[in-house]
Amino acid sequence: MNAIECRNLTHYYGKKLVYENLNINVREGSILGLLGKNGAGKTTTINILNGFLQPRSGECLIYGENTQHLSPENKARIGFLIEGHIQYSFMNIHQIEKFYSGFYPKWNNEPYWELMSKLKVTPKQKISSMSCGQRSQVALGLILAQDPDLLILDDFSMGLDPGYRRLFIDYLREYAKSKNKTIFTTSHIIQDMERLIDDVLIMDYNRVLAQRNVNDFMREFKQFYFELENPEINLSNEDFVANFEKVHNKVELYTYETEDFVKNFLSKNSIVHFNFQKVEMGLEDAFIGLTGKY
Amino acid sequence: MWKSVIYKEWLKIRWVAIIFGGLGILAVGNIFLKVQHDLVFNEATNYWYFILFQGYQFFGYGLFKFIPVLGALAVAVAQYFPETVNKRIKLTFHLPLNENKVLLMMMLFGTICLLAIDVIMFLLFTSLSLLFFPSEIIIATLVSTAPWFLCGFVVYFLVALIVLEPVWKYRFMYIIVAGAFVPIYLESAETGGYAPALPLLILFTVVLSISLLFSGYRFRKGEM
Repeated sequence: MNAIECRNLTHYYGKKLVYENLNINVREGSILGLLGKNGAGKTTTINILNGFLQPRSGECLIYGENTQHLSPENKARIGFLIEGHIQYSFMNIHQIEKFYSGFYPKWNNEPYWELMSKLKVTPKQKISSMSCGQRSQVALGLILAQDPDLLILDDFSMGLDPGYRRLFIDYLREYAKSKNKTIFTTSHIIQDMERLIDDVLIMDYNRVLAQRNVNDFMREFKQFYFELENPEINLSNEDFVANFEKVHNKVELYTYETEDFVKNFLSKNSIVHFNFQKVEMGLEDAFIGLTGKY
Repeated sequence: MWKSVIYKEWLKIRWVAIIFGGLGILAVGNIFLKVQHDLVFNEATNYWYFILFQGYQFFGYGLFKFIPVLGALAVAVAQYFPETVNKRIKLTFHLPLNENKVLLMMMLFGTICLLAIDVIMFLLFTSLSLLFFPSEIIIATLVSTAPWFLCGFVVYFLVALIVLEPVWKYRFMYIIVAGAFVPIYLESAETGGYAPALPLLILFTVVLSISLLFSGYRFRKGEM
């Protein structure tokens, strides 16, 4: 069963198309990472999912309910992390725990206080005077204490140093997998996603470039490097080429096809080349390979 | 759940509300210190002559007139501005409650706080008035000061509407509306002169109380 289903989602800002007929499914118990360049529509999608933006057409359902009219019962099942770990910064860690505990029947403050015990904050210190990393732990602790079935995280890595990012991800993945939680997340820092997600959705301006299991994607999407004898050759329009980056005669070719297929293509078309090699990629390399550097 | 909403709202406005209440009490006390002073130094007969035949308003000096308005303005800003910083109102709308009911609850809590402070000022004012003036003067005085207190609520509702409004053109429109309506409540009139207008002013104030729902609706639809 799907926790999230978006059907034929279309949205514009004024006359600028964000995307058209976007379909997203997030299986219950899975962790989906939404990747895209700035302006590709990540936050737009998060806002539609949370009912803070009405799409031009199409609809998103969370547990079968249209996100424009989520019932309080359904909202209680969703944990929401706002970009920048925004929380009620006029409260301290005791006040905010007391505040949220009144809303959620499954509230369990143990994980919250466990995380808080790792922070070097005074009991009466306002959240506004905490560092970004400390605020991220407060926001994460509150979500864990809420014990939601679905977590929607908007750019959770923003402003966090590597240590806090790692702490955040390790906690989150352990929590999600041990309790069969569903996560829908975006992040600018794609290395983080690699440790966290099961499925990846890569968006470019106006379209979806990939939506699949992240391991399948990493196995099937490949980068090949070679040097051309004739630097004028351009393969970017070939059907099998997902992206073709060339600096002088040095080529990075991204494709879902096999090494043999690419080699055969080059030899069949008499394209003279040297130093052909398959390049191992991380998720960030694959993302840049798919979306392009610009 | 509603207790938690009240708790959050109280955390935001508590110091402002306490200072507002304190200043209100001081302002009322100050009025009657001045009454006492004028009675002693101007002699009672002269003082009564001014009140009865010269239209002198013992309560009518600036500080007291504007305290309900300034207090309401401060409470509204303290309550609603933090919700707009980094669009934190999203957190409030994400709570497992109906979004309109949450806004109305926030508004109701702020209104009750203002009302509580106003009632304290009203009771203190009436009690101290009884020491110096007959009931006819006190009633006329209360009718005269009622629009100032109503103005506090009007300002509170309008500031909530303006602060929560996500669309700047609507914000400007609301500011113009506020600029047109608020002075009506603060017009100078002879003691008791506002009596015919009071029902209409009360009606307008009550209608205005739900106006912040428009801003909340526009925010939820993603209007910018």
